[in-house]
Amino acid sequence: MTLGSDTRYLFIRYLTKLVRNPILLFFSLFQPILFLALFTQLLTRLGSFPGILPDHVSYLEFAAAGILLQNAFGSALQSGNSIVADIDSGFLQKMLVTPVSRSAILLGRLTSDAFRVVIQSAIILGLAYAFGAIENTPFSVTTGVLGILGIFFTLAFFGLAWSGISLALGMKTRSAETVFAIGGVITFPLLFLSSALFPISFLPTWVKDVSMFNPVSYAVDASRAFMITGYDWGTILPAWGVIGLVALITLSATLYQFRKVVS
Amino acid sequence: MSDIISVKDLVLVYADGTKAVDNISFNVAEGEFFGFLGPNGAGKSTTIKVLTTLLRKTSGEVNVAGYNLEKDAAAIRKVIGVQSQDTTVDGDLTGRENLELQGHFYQMKTSEIKARVKELLRLVELESVAEKRARNYSGGMKKRLDLASALIHKPKMLFLDEPTTGLDPQSRSTIWAYLQRLNKEEGITIFLTTQYLEEADKLCKRLSIIDYGKIAASGTPGELKSQVGADSIRVGLENCDRDRSRAKEIIRSMTGVSEIIDSEECINVFAKNASQLIADIVRALDSSDIRLTTVTFAQPTLDDVFMKHTGRRIRVEELVKAPSMMFGGRR
Repeated sequence: MTLGSDTRYLFIRYLTKLVRNPILLFFSLFQPILFLALFTQLLTRLGSFPGILPDHVSYLEFAAAGILLQNAFGSALQSGNSIVADIDSGFLQKMLVTPVSRSAILLGRLTSDAFRVVIQSAIILGLAYAFGAIENTPFSVTTGVLGILGIFFTLAFFGLAWSGISLALGMKTRSAETVFAIGGVITFPLLFLSSALFPISFLPTWVKDVSMFNPVSYAVDASRAFMITGYDWGTILPAWGVIGLVALITLSATLYQFRKVVS
Repeated sequence: MSDIISVKDLVLVYADGTKAVDNISFNVAEGEFFGFLGPNGAGKSTTIKVLTTLLRKTSGEVNVAGYNLEKDAAAIRKVIGVQSQDTTVDGDLTGRENLELQGHFYQMKTSEIKARVKELLRLVELESVAEKRARNYSGGMKKRLDLASALIHKPKMLFLDEPTTGLDPQSRSTIWAYLQRLNKEEGITIFLTTQYLEEADKLCKRLSIIDYGKIAASGTPGELKSQVGADSIRVGLENCDRDRSRAKEIIRSMTGVSEIIDSEECINVFAKNASQLIADIVRALDSSDIRLTTVTFAQPTLDDVFMKHTGRRIRVEELVKAPSMMFGGRR
């Protein structure tokens, strides 16, 4: 089966490129880490008002899920840029004149994106633990190691869905700048009009209404369930369903654009 | 010899209506070194893209390596090697990693790849920098690495789209030497496109001159040039003003001379059998006490051929600036 091995070698190629360009990693981690430091400093008193955060939950614990999600956003956004780079340099064409599996070109890309989200999430989670220790605010994941895996899965899955958008945009526009601009424009509204950084009860009614239709809210709520409330499948499974639906749409768009590029 | 490429009535019209390839037909025999010579935008790259399965042709019949392009694109990909006009190496990977990855694209076994990579690194003389990232290679080194990667799977047939465009003269002649070796020693059929006259002349056993998507002429460089007709002999005289008309008279009476014109040196003689005429000219002028300063012999160039068929010189202003020695980074 060439799909499997082709995907593996392309997966390795993308990760090698990433590791050898640490500046890319730095930039995509910079913002989430800044948010982690800033928001937890600014809003840590939030926990002392009764009824805003769940009992015995620090703002650090609350915000971690949102910041992890923001990170998944950021790194998935770079995915489109890298396919634009491959098209511009002619490397995609170089692959296409070989018998390499066409699907592997996309699959290698997507799996490496997902893997990257997991690695970056682990770094951020580690930092959150460190912050907790330094600031003497409680930070823990209720569901333990298995729950952390659940969080990683949710984030990677969300990252995949989001990669689909940037890949499709990248292949459509062939412009890294456009991908970046469009990505930037939709990231923040989606993030702030969701339950990512502020408790839903804290938000104005219209934002609450919007956030109901915002897939980000679902993904954050699922991660937050693993982190705070436990295996709340009533939250987790619908979230996975919503992410799956988004992924279906964005990856179909990606596949459609890819077919146009390939043929 | 059987044909490894046969193209009949190939047409490619881009989505915007541009007819890049306009009804061309040609054949390339197995083991041949064949070339397309033409200016930028003549349709060379487009033809290569069609033949290497990258672009879908509008119409026509194409067979490569015994496979039909439409039905067996996948089979064709396995036996051809392609070097595109843009040098495409992954700058983040080392030279060795670039080649290994390419080997994996062809589903080669890891042990097989190892041996082949070693061989190719030696061929293109990149052994000493094999572990360095390709980003840091010079232009010539990148081209060589790219060429090596096109050879990883020992292709039967190599497509090279302007393999030396933009290179300094040293790197060009190095690449030329590799290509001649590959063709002669390993019997790889090579289809090359170029806008350099000397490159086509030196490398190609047979070539087609292509312009505006059409083949203007085909043949061996020698055949094409002899179609233009005459070689030229440039004769310089010590006292040109005084002797010119007398010299012209003497030379005109010789057999084979087709035309005599005044030139910078003094006179320019066009003749079919110029190489044999030189001695006669020298002798005749000498015995008439006309003193010669120079006699140079020039064969028609492919540019003359291009001129004859298209009415224009190869659009020189569009040629990539002739790589000058001054910029040829010696390492």
